[in-house]
Formats: sequence, structure tokens, C-alpha cells
Amino acid sequence: MPQLNPEFFVSQLFWLAVFFTFLFVFLWRVSLPRIATVLEKRQNKIDENLSSAKELQEQAMEIEKKINDQINKAKVETDEKIKETINALQEDVSSQLSSLDKDLEKKVSDAEKEILKSKDDQIKNINNEIANITKLTVGKITDIEVSDNEINKVIEIHKGSFN
Amino acid sequence: MAAKDSPLKQFEIDPISNIELGGYNISFTNSSFAMLITVLVITLFLTLTVNTRSIIPSRMQLISELMYNFIAQLLSDTVGDNGKRYFPFVFSLFMFVLIGNMVGMIPYQFTFTSHIIVTFALAAVVFIGVTILGFINHGIKFFTFFYIPGVPFYMHPLLIPIEVISYLSRPISLSVRLFANMLAGHTLLKVFAGFVVSMPFFTGVFPLAFIVALTGLEILIAFLQAYVFAILTCLYINDAYHLH
Repeated sequence: MPQLNPEFFVSQLFWLAVFFTFLFVFLWRVSLPRIATVLEKRQNKIDENLSSAKELQEQAMEIEKKINDQINKAKVETDEKIKETINALQEDVSSQLSSLDKDLEKKVSDAEKEILKSKDDQIKNINNEIANITKLTVGKITDIEVSDNEINKVIEIHKGSFN
Repeated sequence: MAAKDSPLKQFEIDPISNIELGGYNISFTNSSFAMLITVLVITLFLTLTVNTRSIIPSRMQLISELMYNFIAQLLSDTVGDNGKRYFPFVFSLFMFVLIGNMVGMIPYQFTFTSHIIVTFALAAVVFIGVTILGFINHGIKFFTFFYIPGVPFYMHPLLIPIEVISYLSRPISLSVRLFANMLAGHTLLKVFAGFVVSMPFFTGVFPLAFIVALTGLEILIAFLQAYVFAILTCLYINDAYHLH
């Protein structure tokens, strides 16, 4: 078996030492630090992106909260305005109603007064007519001149009986 | 022993240029050439693919990063935070064995991991390093590593020698595992390759099909043995920190 032939043992060991030492030193000093920097750089970048994503998410949540707050505020304000308007309208309506009531009352009372007045007038007219008729009738029948005062006195006396 | 058609002929070392230093033969051989190719492949690949240092990696850069993360994960799983210091060594070891095995899978290319002297040297570096590390971390207390707590006292005369032997046989088992796997795999491939040409008519396609399947298996083994070599190194480093 060629492996057990010691002829090239020293050569094998020598070149192994040379090449392995070179490989070790080269990888240790050149290659591995390079790969390590790349990996580190990438990890940093990933961490950076993750943290900025987190930050942006927080900002987005803040903005959302603000929007919600504003919506709520707007709702409350709108409700208040609606209530105010309703109240104002109600007041307006009730004041108008009361003024209308007053007007109506006044008109009714005026009308009542007028009616009373016209009733009195009518009664006076009727009395006058009665007096005239009486005067005429008495004049025709008896030739007695009856003064208006007398007739009115009689009417006043009997007023209660036909009123 | 190594006749012209022997399946072991592929393991023979041929000097490419004869060099002698202080009376020792340190010829640059086909084995040294395979090591050179391995080292070049690893260094060039890991350097060029990460050259742009892009945050979004190209496919090739991703491979380098995957290898890096694979070994880093292995080391942190077995050793923990103490292991970070040994990462360059374990990574170099893993890549050297892995690419050495893979280069060996190229037809007509020499497999230096199939030589016990190479694997034993690597295992010895691990063994000596870990032992020194154990003494640095624990001083003379490192010897309590061989003392298993919670065992009846009369068992210790039996258990301590067993522990010592198992500790001392670590470099042997580590090196022979890799060496034997590579030796057996490549020999098997060569034996069946011999069948392809020696069998009559078209029946040679059957061993050929077998070689194709076996090549897939060998690539798996090439990876697996590099992984085993690395993970055992990690476990030994862990032992140097945590005595039982």
C-alpha cells in the first residue's frame, strides 16, 4: 500500500504544513472577516429596517388615533349643534304660538265687545222704533201728543219685561 | 504490490519536481499539487464571491455565507460562546478536508485525504492543540477529565485506564476514519472501473452504472467525513472547556 511507504512522509508533512498554514492564515485574516462584515452589515440593515418599520407603525397608529379623536369630536359638536337648533326652533315656535294666542284672545275679546255694543245699539234702535211707533199710534188714535221722554220712561219701566 | 493495474496504484505518489532540504526529501508531488489546487479553490472562491460585499448576495456569495454559517452554527451548538475563537481553525480544517475530498473525486486527480500521514497530521494538530487548551484552561485539574464522577470507587482502576486510552486514541480514530473512508471508496471505484473494461460485450454497462451511483455516494461521503472531522474537533474543543 503506497500510504505506508515512508519515502514521501516528510514531503507530505512539509507541503501539508505549508498549504494548511497558508490556508488558515488567509482565511483567518482575509476571507472570514469579509464574510463576517457582510453578514454583520446585513443584520444591521435588517435591524434598521425592522426598527423603522416599527416606528412607522407607531406613527400610523398615532395618526389613526388622531383621526378617530377628530371624528368623535366632530360627532359631539354636530350633536350639540343639532340640539341647539332644535331648542331654538322650539322656542321660536312656542313664542310665535303664544303671540298668536294673544292676538286671537284680543280679537275674540274685541269681537265680543263689538257684539255687545251692536246688541246695545240694536236695543236702542228697537226702543226708538217702539217709541216712534207708539208716538205715531197714539197720535193717530188719540190725537194726544206724547213726548219722547214720556215714551222712553215707559219703555225703561217695562224694559225688564221684554228684555 | 502496486502493479500496473492495481486499484491501489492511484494512491502512489509521483514527484513532480525533486526538492531536497537539509537532507530531507521534500519533493513537490502530485499530492502536494492536489493540496495546492485545494487551497487555491478555497481561497479564490471565498475571496472572489464575497468581493462585492453585497448586502443582497449573489448565488455564489450565498454559498460562501452558507458555509460560514454552517460552521459557525456547528461551533456555537457544540462549544458555545467559547468556540468563536477557534472558528477560523475549524473552518479551515473543514474546508481543507471537504475540498480535498472533492478534488479527489475528479477523475485522475490525486486524493491527499486518502493518505494516513496527512490525516494523522491534521488529527495530531487537533489533539495536541486541544490537550494544550485543556491544560491552559484547567491546569493540573485537566487530569480529572479521566475521572468519571458518580461511579463506585472500585470501578476507577478499570475506568481511568479506559478513559486514558480512549483519549489517546482520539487522533488515531479521527485520522483513520477519514483515511479509511477515502481509501475504501476510491479503491472500490477503481475495482469496478476495472470491471467495466474487462467484462465481455455490453455487460460492462452494469459496473459502469454502479460507478455512477457510487460516485454520488462518494460525494456524499466526502462531505460527511469533512463534517465528522469538523464536529469531532468541536467536541474535543468543548471537552477542553468542560470536564465532564
